[in-house]
Amino acid sequence: MNILIVEDERALAEEIASFLKKENFLCEIALTGTAASEKIAINLYDFILLDLGLPDYNGFDLLKEAREAGNEAGIIIVTARGAVEDKVKGLDLGADDYLAKPFALIELYSRIQAVARRKFQVNEQVMNLGEFQLLIQSRKILFGEEEVEVTKKEYELLQYLAFNRDKVLTRHQLYEHIWGNVLDDRYDSNFIDVHVKNIRRKLGVYGSTTWLETVRGIGYRISTD
Amino acid sequence: MTIFSLVSRLGFTIIFIIFLPLIIERINIIQTDMELIRKREKVIKLIEEKGLEQFMFSDSVSTFGSYNILKNEFINIEKTDIKNTWNFIEVTNRIIEGETIEFRILNYSFRVHDTNYLLEIGKSTESIKATEETTKRVILVFLISFIVITLASDLLYTRHLLYPLRLIIKKLKSASSPELFDREPIGTTTADFVRLDQTLRALMDKISDSFRREKDITVNISHELLTPISIIRSKLENLLLTENPDENVQVKIEESLTTLSRLTTLVNSLLFIARTESSQYLKEDSFAISDLLNEICDEILPVAENKKIQIKRDFSADFIIEGVNRSLLFSMFFNIVNNSVKNTSPGGEIFIKSYTDNNIYKVFISDNGRGMTKEQMETLFSRFHNRQKDNKEGTGIGLAIAKSIADYHNIKIDVTSEPGKGTEFYFSFLKNS
Repeated sequence: MNILIVEDERALAEEIASFLKKENFLCEIALTGTAASEKIAINLYDFILLDLGLPDYNGFDLLKEAREAGNEAGIIIVTARGAVEDKVKGLDLGADDYLAKPFALIELYSRIQAVARRKFQVNEQVMNLGEFQLLIQSRKILFGEEEVEVTKKEYELLQYLAFNRDKVLTRHQLYEHIWGNVLDDRYDSNFIDVHVKNIRRKLGVYGSTTWLETVRGIGYRISTD
Repeated sequence: MTIFSLVSRLGFTIIFIIFLPLIIERINIIQTDMELIRKREKVIKLIEEKGLEQFMFSDSVSTFGSYNILKNEFINIEKTDIKNTWNFIEVTNRIIEGETIEFRILNYSFRVHDTNYLLEIGKSTESIKATEETTKRVILVFLISFIVITLASDLLYTRHLLYPLRLIIKKLKSASSPELFDREPIGTTTADFVRLDQTLRALMDKISDSFRREKDITVNISHELLTPISIIRSKLENLLLTENPDENVQVKIEESLTTLSRLTTLVNSLLFIARTESSQYLKEDSFAISDLLNEICDEILPVAENKKIQIKRDFSADFIIEGVNRSLLFSMFFNIVNNSVKNTSPGGEIFIKSYTDNNIYKVFISDNGRGMTKEQMETLFSRFHNRQKDNKEGTGIGLAIAKSIADYHNIKIDVTSEPGKGTEFYFSFLKNS
């Protein structure tokens, strides 16, 4: 998949590109709104990552331009403003999702995947976790034929780890994904640890959960082996 | 002002009533005396005009007396041997038809045809007293009605006069922040109040202007900070994802990311507080309080259970709150309950209850955790101040945020706490929120 990163901060744009390349994306960077506008007019992208706070261009105008030109790309808008109106306006103008700065790269990746699922894929996606199976569309965990009862948050946590298989996710990244950039002190407590503990307990009744690893001092990881 | 005028008037009246009998007695005596003198003049005039014969039909009769039927007045003329002139008033008893009556009598001697006569004109003290009583009563009634009427009119007038002042006070009271001060001029013709109103409005404008500037600066700085934070974060995350065998390096990167996330929370909290204070959040949700609180409880339950803390709920007195921002209220209650969980030891208990008191919706959250000292309570809601020493993680801004949200929704938070016993939070949803 190819993606256009519209971001006026070169350092940030390059970090995003470097991360996405590893996930097998073809990345292009536009550092100004004008450059972005030209690129959008000429090329076809699967995804556009659009920073609304461009110095030379109103990000919303760029969004309108892209949509009016019949561009079918998945568009994720990014802003440091984080104001609710921006989010609403962006989604109204045809953006597919919204991220507030600073966001986790893996969060960006998982949003891209989610948009891709919504836009391009209809079949049930199944992921294998040891003896368990994750049904992505119907948001269920199966052990053989049997459904394993977990809470919404526990499922969300497990799926996020599964999508980022073989990567260590920090507690903060996990908490941010599940609860968003909310204004409370969840991170102070061991919310993530408690949820992982509960997942292990609930799944442990059926089978082994050694694939869900604790990485000391960092966080958690689901490994393939 | 009204009270002062009431008290001064009452004081004056009481003094007046105390001295009233004396004054009236005095006036009455003077009046009686004048009346007696007037009557004397009349009698003397009559004698001068028509002679004594009018009264004394012959020389053989030496006395003339006339009483009215009730015996409260009499005139008496008689021949006398007294040589010197008498002209005085005295109080003596007279016996008239077997009845002893006290009279105030004017004695006056005069000469007619070389004969000395004594004229006595009397008025019974009883009748004098009677008029005195009537006068007293009339004056008292008049006085009382005067006081009542003037007081009432005073009250009405000052009320009317001070009405604009009350309007101004009401405006001041209802404005929880300078921006919310009602800019509509009050309807009054009193120049002083118009000026007061204008001055207040100008002052409020000035204050809100500098507030706004301060907020703008906060918002701008926060935005500027978020971009470099984003860059550092992405760099660190990419580093963490490289195949690095050195575990220590990874742990250090994770620690840096955690520190960075604290910085982010701080910046976002600043942004958030600046935004609530300039009313940038919509308040359009309405829902049952039990819904929200149950959701929060369910969210926190795993952590609480892990810590062996019980959460008891009583939402039997449920209510619907309207015109609020649900996610903000969620954060507010969440932060408080989460704070309670953090400060309660295993085996402890948290109690959450909704109720209505005097038509005011209330929520009560208590724990039997470690409680707070007076000093801790004072800085409880101040931004960045309430970090407890053993709370190593977090920014400690959760309660400051809760307070901002409460203020934004006109919710009053009362806290009572005792070290070692626990803490109680009371939330009151005040009207016009």
